[in-house]
Amino acid sequence: MIAPEAALIAVRSAAAGGVALAFGGAPLGVLLIARRMSLSGDALSHGILPGAAIAYLLAGPNPWALTLGALVAALGVTGLSSLLARSRRLPEDAAFAVIYLSALASGVLLLAHHAGPEALEAMLFGSPAGLDRNGLLLAAGAATATLLALALFIRGFVAESVDPGFLRAGGRGGGWLHVLLMMLVALNLVAGFRAFGALMTVGLMMIPAASARFWARGYAGQAATAIVISAASSTMGVLIAARAGVEPGAVMALCAASLFLVSGLLGPQGGLLSAFGLRTRLAGRPRAS
Amino acid sequence: MGAITLTDVTLGYGAQIAVAGVSGIFAGGATTVIVGPNGSGKSTLLKALAGAQPPQAGAIDRGELTRRRIAYLPQDPGVDRRFPINVADFVALGFERRLGLFGGMGAAERAELAAAIAAVGLDGLEQRPIDALSGGQFQRALFARVIAEDAPLILLDEPFAAQDARTTADLLRVIQRWRSERRTLVIVLHDLALARTLGDETLVMAREAVAWGPTDAVLTPGHLQRAHDVSERWLVEDAA
Repeated sequence: MIAPEAALIAVRSAAAGGVALAFGGAPLGVLLIARRMSLSGDALSHGILPGAAIAYLLAGPNPWALTLGALVAALGVTGLSSLLARSRRLPEDAAFAVIYLSALASGVLLLAHHAGPEALEAMLFGSPAGLDRNGLLLAAGAATATLLALALFIRGFVAESVDPGFLRAGGRGGGWLHVLLMMLVALNLVAGFRAFGALMTVGLMMIPAASARFWARGYAGQAATAIVISAASSTMGVLIAARAGVEPGAVMALCAASLFLVSGLLGPQGGLLSAFGLRTRLAGRPRAS
Repeated sequence: MGAITLTDVTLGYGAQIAVAGVSGIFAGGATTVIVGPNGSGKSTLLKALAGAQPPQAGAIDRGELTRRRIAYLPQDPGVDRRFPINVADFVALGFERRLGLFGGMGAAERAELAAAIAAVGLDGLEQRPIDALSGGQFQRALFARVIAEDAPLILLDEPFAAQDARTTADLLRVIQRWRSERRTLVIVLHDLALARTLGDETLVMAREAVAWGPTDAVLTPGHLQRAHDVSERWLVEDAA
């Protein structure tokens, strides 16, 4: 049994880490959805598991070793899937399905066999005490690196997403931007692993990004909205999970999902209420003179 | 100035030949129109001029022109219209050639951006998302991006396909301005009347160059019939 103060500190640091992760993950999620790569976040989070598992077996739950292992695995699976997709025999999402599922399976077996069911469960679903000092530093570092990279390369990311042929015609392949994006996604995923788990962390990235589309039309507006929703989801998730005594990952993902429902209902950009014309009816109501 | 010289250029996709042994010079500072039946290699040739498709044989000499100084508008540019970006930001992608991926827009670029958007008649729609544009408005936005590129060589593939009369007239004005600025233009067209209006020179394609020279001398019923016949012959050979 953890002492109450220690538990409180763990909850606080998990909540703070969740907010930091929102700043990095949510803008990436918006970019992935805009590029129609929504599933690649999921796929990547499965794909990096063996790298994280091997790092865990070699160095224990050390956040820097986990990060390194995850990034190496991310580089490997990203490269492998674009190679497979380039062979033109397979569409890229089919290549994803094959590689990432195999990766998830080997990660699960590695952890289950060598580290035991508890370590496996913590890796997949997170643990309430998952964000210690180092974990917090990693989450803040991932968010900082992501925002810096987005600030520097946003024109490139946008150009490569909207019109990849335009960059190529100018003699600039956008391939390295794709790899950089995948590395940033992997970095943010691994930063969230220990608190929210390999299977659920991606929810912090994608669900708020999907919700943001109901609130704003441009990339900047969607990214800002997604950060707020993501931070709210993780804070709510951590607090509710601590109260209920369960792992925070799944609770966080469901909190994000409930905010998605609210967005889909109330959001002005194609939300259900705006689709039924309630807003226009209200706006068109004759004013009291 | 700015001429492109083709020497026995053959283009294709694997065993499928699209352009066979074309030689000639695209005159600098002039407008060359490429006409020919469907499947005669017009688009493939344009793509190769842009540097986006290497020749299987022969050589394309662009002189001092690098790929970054060529504006190329394919017939289907493959733009993801659903990406959340507005007209102004989309047109500003044209500055990428000049500013790179990092450089910020200065006052000069902002003024140029406004002028480019006005020149295609999209002023007032700067903040509109590109997925909310009509087909004609989107073609105007693509033209505005070409204006922003400010390139000495401009390659346009069927720029008026599926456009209404008013859009065509407005975009023609943009092309006429480029011509008066003595830029080198190569335009793939199927409308022969437009070809006569725009082309200083005309290239009649049927995988090979059937005729290439001043528009009045080249755009004759005889040459067009010959392009048709040569194309048919190629089709028969393909099928054999």
